[in-house]
Amino acid sequence: MRAIASAAIVIFLFCASSFAQTLDDLKQDGNGGSTDNILTYGMGYRLHRYSPLKQVNKLTVKRLVPVWSLSLDNNWGEQAQPIIYNGIMYVTNAKATVAIDVATGKQIWKQTLDWPPETPRIVCCGVSNKGAAIYDGKVFRTTLDAHVVAYDAKSGREIWKSKAAEWKDGYSMTGAPLIANGVLITGISGAEFGIRGFIDGWDPQTGNKLWRRYTIPARGEKGNETWPQDNNAWEVGGGSSWITGSYDPELDLVYWGIGNPAPWASQTRPGDNLYTSSLLALRPKTGEMVWYYQFTPNDPFDFDACWEPIIADIDVAGAKRKVIMQLNRNAFLYVLDRTNGDLVSANAYETANWASRIDKETGRPVETEVAKKVRSGEEVEMWPSTRGGKNWPHASFNPETGLLYAPTMHRGGIYKHLPVKDRVPGQRYQFIENRPTPSEPNSAIGHVDAIDPLTAEPKWRIPLTDHPIWSAILTTGGGLLFTGKETGEFVALDVENGKELWQFQTGSGINAIPVTYTYQGRQYVTVLSGIGGLWWNAAREQLKDKVPQGGSVWTFALFPE
Amino acid sequence: MRLIDTRLVMLAAGTLLSISKGVCAADAQGFAPDQIRLGAELFAVNCSPCHGPHMQGSESAFDLRKFPPNQRDRFLNSVTRGKNQMPPWGDTFSPEQLDALWAYVVAGER
Repeated sequence: MRAIASAAIVIFLFCASSFAQTLDDLKQDGNGGSTDNILTYGMGYRLHRYSPLKQVNKLTVKRLVPVWSLSLDNNWGEQAQPIIYNGIMYVTNAKATVAIDVATGKQIWKQTLDWPPETPRIVCCGVSNKGAAIYDGKVFRTTLDAHVVAYDAKSGREIWKSKAAEWKDGYSMTGAPLIANGVLITGISGAEFGIRGFIDGWDPQTGNKLWRRYTIPARGEKGNETWPQDNNAWEVGGGSSWITGSYDPELDLVYWGIGNPAPWASQTRPGDNLYTSSLLALRPKTGEMVWYYQFTPNDPFDFDACWEPIIADIDVAGAKRKVIMQLNRNAFLYVLDRTNGDLVSANAYETANWASRIDKETGRPVETEVAKKVRSGEEVEMWPSTRGGKNWPHASFNPETGLLYAPTMHRGGIYKHLPVKDRVPGQRYQFIENRPTPSEPNSAIGHVDAIDPLTAEPKWRIPLTDHPIWSAILTTGGGLLFTGKETGEFVALDVENGKELWQFQTGSGINAIPVTYTYQGRQYVTVLSGIGGLWWNAAREQLKDKVPQGGSVWTFALFPE
Repeated sequence: MRLIDTRLVMLAAGTLLSISKGVCAADAQGFAPDQIRLGAELFAVNCSPCHGPHMQGSESAFDLRKFPPNQRDRFLNSVTRGKNQMPPWGDTFSPEQLDALWAYVVAGER
């Protein structure tokens, strides 16, 4: 009887542990851990979006074929990165969370969300969700109407749901959460509606809020002096945090990019407007800010600084440095010392006419007449456009080549500030006119680039003349770069020269985040298809008769020889 | 006789043109300038992010300058209840504001 009880306990513990991801598991994800799993957004805390897998390589990729596809029954668009654990894939979009059997593509469970139909009014850039987090047997996600939810990873049962903010005031959530040092960390969207941004730390077990780090300091707090003292601009000053940060467990620092100030028209908010358009280094247990770096002080362009902060240890002038790299929307590529925020290098990777260079001593941009004219309300041709030299689709850092691989944009904007009016909760708070510059037919409006982090010089760049790439990039030990096109093609390029080696038409546009992993010794590649997001808003007239809507998961593997 | 005919034709054409101009002017003048101005302000804040500044721009969700001017009910229905990717705005705009938006869409930029 005692033996039976012991066996039962062992079986229970085995079953429980097979669904319980530890903090060590998360640290090892993309860093020596099992390639069967993808436990973090970014395929590792460093956000490399790189896998050493090489079963699918330059020679074998011609045999890459779809092994299953699953409809997500969603027309809003797919942007997410799948999370994978023990043969189960977890996928999110704005409407649902789905658990899928990796081997067969069969749906195991699905939890739908029911947000008010008016909610998309306060979503600036696509009704979407970028993915889940997983820890200790729970799957965590954010919702469009600004809640955080935890599901049981095995059954899909809702364990807790906590409200982060009121969507009617302009707050929304589309980003993937981050688990760092046992704390669930989430960002917020809404700078286009005049929110006061923040980053939250939650107890993953209960959903209780542990801390909130406002991205704009209150009166009396350090940094508030960079806002006017005679109006309430700081209370409605934006500073979203809508892209997931990175984490260095050794330094115990989370790095999180902060978005643009509000409104975009800058006349009511003279000053640097800390900590908008900045990178913050935070302690995950408390939210304490250890250092910050502001890229675009008093940002009047919507340049943001939300994009992925990529961690690496690289050689700088003969010495190994712990750095963090960001292809900032303002068209400069920044490399910072991640221990203290010191500037290592900052060079333009795309055309910029708002600043001539970044001052190496002060770390501030040396602005041109274009920036002055923008602030004075003149209409200007601005490079890059408000969409930036790069938008959210994530870059990959390949440690084998030492290069960043990024989808970049080559487009200017005709841009003008309008007079600022009082904020109405839940309504746009931008006050600008913004049109793309005309472009010649067949001229490049974007590229796929392989970029040296320190010089920002491209090793190669592949021009795109129809649509920019709105899919993240994945690179592999097989010498491949995977990404997707708005016109539906999932493609594999040669990381050495950008030459296209393979493509597959997925049936809708791709604006999501590809991953690769193993299951029972076989390498798989997965991407979500389903046109949506900002470019679907912008290019609908061009795309509506060519690219159908509809979300689906596509998984590929090599056809046996 | 031929001269008279030509004059008569020209006179008739001129009359028709005048009438036609009058009708168009009446349509445009059916909306008060203040109403169109209010519609333009509401559009600039709430609608231009997707539909382009002044309804222009090669990158916009739907070119509202093409909206049929005789389909007011369809316009109001789409705005208040939402359509495709556009969310409902019925609880945001008052009837006067909706009329102002319609005035701007029909007469503001064409």
